[in-house]
This record gives sequence, C-alpha cells and structure tokens, in this order.
Amino acid sequence: MAPAQAHPRSAPSASEEADLVARLRGGDERAFEALVERHYATMLAVARGYVRTRAVAEEVVQEAWLGVLNGIDRFEGRSSLKTWIMRIVVNIAITRGERETRTIPFSAFAPEADEPAVDPDRFRDESDGFPGHWRAYPGSWASLPEDTLLVRETLDVVKRAIEELPAAQRIVVTMRDVAGCSAEEVCETLDVSEGNQRVLLHRARSRVRSALERHLDG
Amino acid sequence: MAESADHLSCQEVVELVTEYLDESLPAEDASLFEQHLNFCEGCVWYVDQLRTTVETVGEIREEQIPPEAKERLLGAFRDWRRS
Amino acid sequence: MIAYKFLKLDGTSVFTGFRWPIEELSINTWIEAQVDPCRSGIHVCGTEHLPLWAGQTLYELELKGEIREDSGKLIASRARLTRRIEAWEESVRDRYTRMCADRAHELARSASPPLEQWEAVVEPSVREGPALLGFIAARIAEELDGPSAYTAERARQSVWLVDELGLET
Repeated sequence: MAPAQAHPRSAPSASEEADLVARLRGGDERAFEALVERHYATMLAVARGYVRTRAVAEEVVQEAWLGVLNGIDRFEGRSSLKTWIMRIVVNIAITRGERETRTIPFSAFAPEADEPAVDPDRFRDESDGFPGHWRAYPGSWASLPEDTLLVRETLDVVKRAIEELPAAQRIVVTMRDVAGCSAEEVCETLDVSEGNQRVLLHRARSRVRSALERHLDG
Repeated sequence: MAESADHLSCQEVVELVTEYLDESLPAEDASLFEQHLNFCEGCVWYVDQLRTTVETVGEIREEQIPPEAKERLLGAFRDWRRS
Repeated sequence: MIAYKFLKLDGTSVFTGFRWPIEELSINTWIEAQVDPCRSGIHVCGTEHLPLWAGQTLYELELKGEIREDSGKLIASRARLTRRIEAWEESVRDRYTRMCADRAHELARSASPPLEQWEAVVEPSVREGPALLGFIAARIAEELDGPSAYTAERARQSVWLVDELGLET
C-alpha cells in the first residue's frame, strides 16, 4: 500500500550482469573500468566500517579488486555480482581489521540498547493526557522553498550526519540509501538478519532526520 | 470476537515508519498505521520528513575513484589479463 | 446538544485513559475541560463521526458550553454521560465489522484490475475491530473514485449504525 521507493541508482538487470561477467572473463578493460566506477564508493564505505583509517580502507578495496579478478572464473552467479564483490570486501576488511585490532564485532550488527527514533520528550506522557501524542507537531517540510533540500549546505549536513553515525548504522544507510542496495544485498553482504538490518536503517535514518531538522528549523 | 483496536499512538507510529516505507509491516499493522495518518497531521508531516530525508540522502553523489587508484587497478587488470 | 462517545469496556477514554463515571450515570456528573482540539477538551462524535471511532462501548452525552467542530469530531468544554447505548454490543459490533469487510472486498474486486494488495489487508485486519475495517472500506472506495467516495462510504457506515442502534440524528 505504501508506494515503493525507487532509488536513483537502481540495480542492473541479471542479463546486464551476466554480460559484464562474460566481458570481464574475456579481458575487456572497459567492462572492468565500468565495474570499478560503479562499485568503488560502496566498497570504500563498507571497508571503512571495519578498519581504522580511510587509507587502509582504500588498500582493502584495491586488494578486493584483485580478489574479484582472481575469482571471476569461479563466480557461479548464485548471488548477484555486486553482493559477491561486497562479500570479498567484507572478508578482506575483517582480516585487515582484526590485524589492526579494530573490527566491528558482529554483535554491533545486532542492535541491543533501545534507541528511540524520536526523543521521548517530544511526546506527551501519562500525566499530560493523550500519552504518546506529539507535544508539538513536527514541521511540514513540504512548505519549504523548493530547492532548500538540494543545496550544497543541506547535503553537507546530511553527509556529516552520516559520517557521525555509529559504524554499523553508517554502513547500512550508505548501502541502502546512498548506493541503492536492496535489503537482501545488505543482509547477504554483512551477514545480518533482515530484522537487524532494518533496525539499523531505522536508527540511522532517524538520526539523519534529526540532524536535518535541527538544520532546517534552527 | 473482535476486540476494538487500540489506535496507534504517535510515539508508536514513529517507530514503524521504516517498516512501513519498506512495505514490510504486516497487513493489519499497515492499516492501523494508515488509519493513524488519516487522523493525525503531525505524523503525516513526520513520515513526510522521513521520506524527504531518504530522498536527500539519495542525492549524495557517490565519490569517484581517485585517478591514481584507478590507474593502479587498470595496471593490475592488465597484469591479470596477461597471466 | 446530543453527542456520542466510544469508551473502553472499563469506561476509560481510548486516547487519554480518562475514567468516565459510567457506574453513576444517574448522578449526571458534568465533566469540564478547556477546548483545544487534540490537546484538551471533551472529544465526542456526532452521528457522522461514529464510524471513525467505533470502539467497545457507546455512550450518549449531553454537551454544553463551548462546542467546536473539528475534522472527524466535536470538542466540548462541558459534557455529561446520559445513557449507555445498550444496542451497541458484541454481536452488533461483529456484524458491523463484517459489513465493512464485505464492502471492502466488494469494492476491491470491482476495480479492474482488482486491488489485490488492499484485498489482502481486509481479513487480517478484522481482529483489530470495527474502526479499522471502516477505514479500510472507505480508503478502498477512495482508491477507486477519489475523496468524495471516501466521504460517501463513511456516510453509508454512519447510516448503518444510526439505523441499527436507533439513534437520533
């Protein structure tokens, strides 16, 4: 009933992927270049969640591409090409991260403590009649001037908010909402349950919304 | 016998938004969710804010691979192709 | 002015938890509150609003003082319960819920192609009760024929309730 959200960067079709794989195996440099350009940013974001510095993340990505080339003949197409590539990144990143004693323990992908989407103070409580109801309604962004949300400044606020997220939330929202990965792709890549993935996404989006709200209302 | 529903509170609604937008709420919860939106302008605006947030995040231009890194990779590709 | 209000079985308000004096209807205690829609005041139904709020038990009230009409409800500064609408009991509630569910199915199937996603919602929602099913039926009508169809469906629901319960309009 809710309209599905089409991401601006939707996934390639299965036949497009099969074509790329064939061309890669055939040594087509253009195909490799296209693949690199398509996935570089997401691979970097994923690696960045597991290792200490950006420089190390870049090395992980370089190593991952070697892994892709060395493994492409054995790629069976059971998962999507993208997911297969991302799993290589994760595996290398974890190995690297462990060596540098900085990995996200897998428990970080299982959200424990409660993190309400909205500060409970913004809702009325038992003493206030209408418990659970907004104290004051949130603003209507629909009435903002049309390009407010697209200007550089606003995008910077959003980027910064994502940077400041806890690592697990950052990876999930980057994969889902920046890179347009599907829920299945995220779950397969990071080896998390759909439920956990959704909780992380929920919390990430809630935090980013709060940051946007502070910027727009402040 | 059907017990009448407790209508959802706003505080409950804000926790369900991601599932709702993902279309993974069970059918009757999705109805309860929409029913609440029908009556509560504040939550309509909140859901809209969330949607807008997701759209704005989607506008972030993914970073391009730096030229030196790309050159290195193409070099690795040519080595691989040769072997 | 006469109005109606649905309360939980224990006589409390669905949203605020306010405990109405249902044991002592004969004493006719006036309840007072400042009118501030959705925030304060006695929120009640005219007959046209009954389908929106259909709940467990139904009471008739007398209103005085400031009475404000808002979307889907009336808000009064002063009100008292006058009687319980005994006719609104379990089997009638179930029949009303079933009526709305059947309408929802009928409307969803009348579309071409049929509204499968909406249809799938109907039966699982039945256990949530009459208010939700009324909403679903009206929403499906709206999907088919726009906002005026939503209003028309709600009006049908209201007429059903008024007739069945013998209410004054």
